Amino acid sequence: MSGHSFAIETRGVTRVFDSRKGFLFREVSHTEALKGVDLAVEQGAIFGLLGPNGAGKTTLTKILSTLLLPTGGRALVLGHDVVTDAEWLRPRIGLVLGGERGLYNRISGRENLRYFADLYGLPTAERERRIDEILARVDLSSAADRRVEEYSRGMKQKLHLARGILLRPQVLFLDEPTIGLDPKSARETRKLVRSLVADGVTIFLTTHYMFEAEELCPQLAILSKGRIVARDTVARLRQLVGGDRTLEAEAYGFEDTEVSALRRLPGVSKIIEEEYGPRTRLTLRVRTDEVRPDDVRALLPDHPELEVKERRTSLEDVYLDLVEEEAH
Amino acid sequence: MEPVRSEFSRGRSTLASLRIAILQFLADPQWLIPSMIAPVVFALVSYELFRGSGPYFLTYAILGAGMMSMWGQTLYGSGWATSQDREFGTLEPTIQSPTPYLYVILGRVLWNVLSGLFGGLIVYVVIVAASGGPPALPDPLGFALLFVFVMLSLASVGVVFAAFYVYTRYAGFIQNIGEFAFYVGTGCMFPVVLLPFWTNPISLVFPPTWGLDALRYLAIPGYRGFGWGFWLDLLGALGTTLAYLAIAGSIFHRVERHVLEEGNLSQY
Repeated sequence: MSGHSFAIETRGVTRVFDSRKGFLFREVSHTEALKGVDLAVEQGAIFGLLGPNGAGKTTLTKILSTLLLPTGGRALVLGHDVVTDAEWLRPRIGLVLGGERGLYNRISGRENLRYFADLYGLPTAERERRIDEILARVDLSSAADRRVEEYSRGMKQKLHLARGILLRPQVLFLDEPTIGLDPKSARETRKLVRSLVADGVTIFLTTHYMFEAEELCPQLAILSKGRIVARDTVARLRQLVGGDRTLEAEAYGFEDTEVSALRRLPGVSKIIEEEYGPRTRLTLRVRTDEVRPDDVRALLPDHPELEVKERRTSLEDVYLDLVEEEAH
Repeated sequence: MEPVRSEFSRGRSTLASLRIAILQFLADPQWLIPSMIAPVVFALVSYELFRGSGPYFLTYAILGAGMMSMWGQTLYGSGWATSQDREFGTLEPTIQSPTPYLYVILGRVLWNVLSGLFGGLIVYVVIVAASGGPPALPDPLGFALLFVFVMLSLASVGVVFAAFYVYTRYAGFIQNIGEFAFYVGTGCMFPVVLLPFWTNPISLVFPPTWGLDALRYLAIPGYRGFGWGFWLDLLGALGTTLAYLAIAGSIFHRVERHVLEEGNLSQY
């Protein structure tokens, strides 16, 4: 591994899942969830891992948080191996797996936190004060003594977060922390994440919400089918897929010659053609300011119904382009 | 921000687990049926069936009936709780904590033993009320102490069984197959010596077989059992209980490693 001290570093991490079916005659099938993942996350940063469902995001999160052993490769968190130094790591990292599960529903939120505080070894003298402090931080103080089964989805997610930061972890793993939340709760969660980074916590966040990744993560990687297909800042990823600007031309079908003419425009790095019922959309990734919507219109004079729009290339464009490329 | 120094201790984790088991029990009244109500019902039925069979045999029958409902809770309670952990999704954060899962199980086992003993006490009170006096026992104090020990020995097997619930989500299926066999095979209902001889060595692998035989020595004057006497039964119970605790300590570490390899902690 490198001499630089990263909060998280992986080299060639692989993970194969075996699934068995049948009782007397067992059939074993293998699924390669991770195919050699290399990552490095700086201390005190928010690192975003984007990917479609089934890409391997949760698998990687679980490996890094010592809940799953990798099949191959090596993963270090805070410079310690997640396999051999799991005992050392566990009190120093937090894990938040989203969703309705993971809590004792018939007891109160406060009792849930007390239980995990004891299992995590939060000093006894500090326990009640710390729990009160965290409940206030996630805005659950008034509901702390209610049964978790009475909580809304957003409140449960806040309780997950509260548990994750009980011990003031140095690295916090957040697996889709805002999935299923209403916009207000999701915004509050993102605010909390930012405040944790201000406290010096390194955050490893998986999501498939592009705006969330764009808003929170200066650095991110895109995982597709168990491979990292890109890893950089959002700005550089835009360049990677062809530029900062995107022009969209929509009409009832285009000739190949027209598409070729557009492709020859200076600064056009990529054209994606998609069909929507009777209409076709050409998406042009543009590297420079030289090409304007009027230049596109000028090359497509035979389409009176033509619509041309200009916008900034979004992270969603980057993501879709890269995931699509990987799929082909 | 300074991270909090972890003061994890096995004793504290065990107590935390005991505490949450009690809270969950109090929050869910359905557990009153197997742990408190069923033993009383079984004991009263036995009392009515065997009230004319002599005072010592009556005590013995009531003991068997009471055990019938208590042993399941003590033996499998911690396993069921692990199964619930799978279902609730709490197994992952628990395993991810610095506490070895064995100590979470121990807390639950403690609660199951306590609730089993409490069930035994309720049976005793109800029988005293129904019969107008305490059941015939030559050595009530010795019997009570030994009863506590038998529950603990039963719990030691429960700890090992609980490992299977961590290991696989199908442990309940295995338990359902073995439940009645274990109940009969350890002599909860009638002495193991009444079973075919070839089954005896299998029965002797389990601590409750020894403990229950010792209990019968204390409850029924002239009882012969395996024929090697009360003290050897007690020694056997102690030895096998310690062996089970040692096995539990050894296999839990491996089971935790296995589930991290398999990645099946969230399956239920």
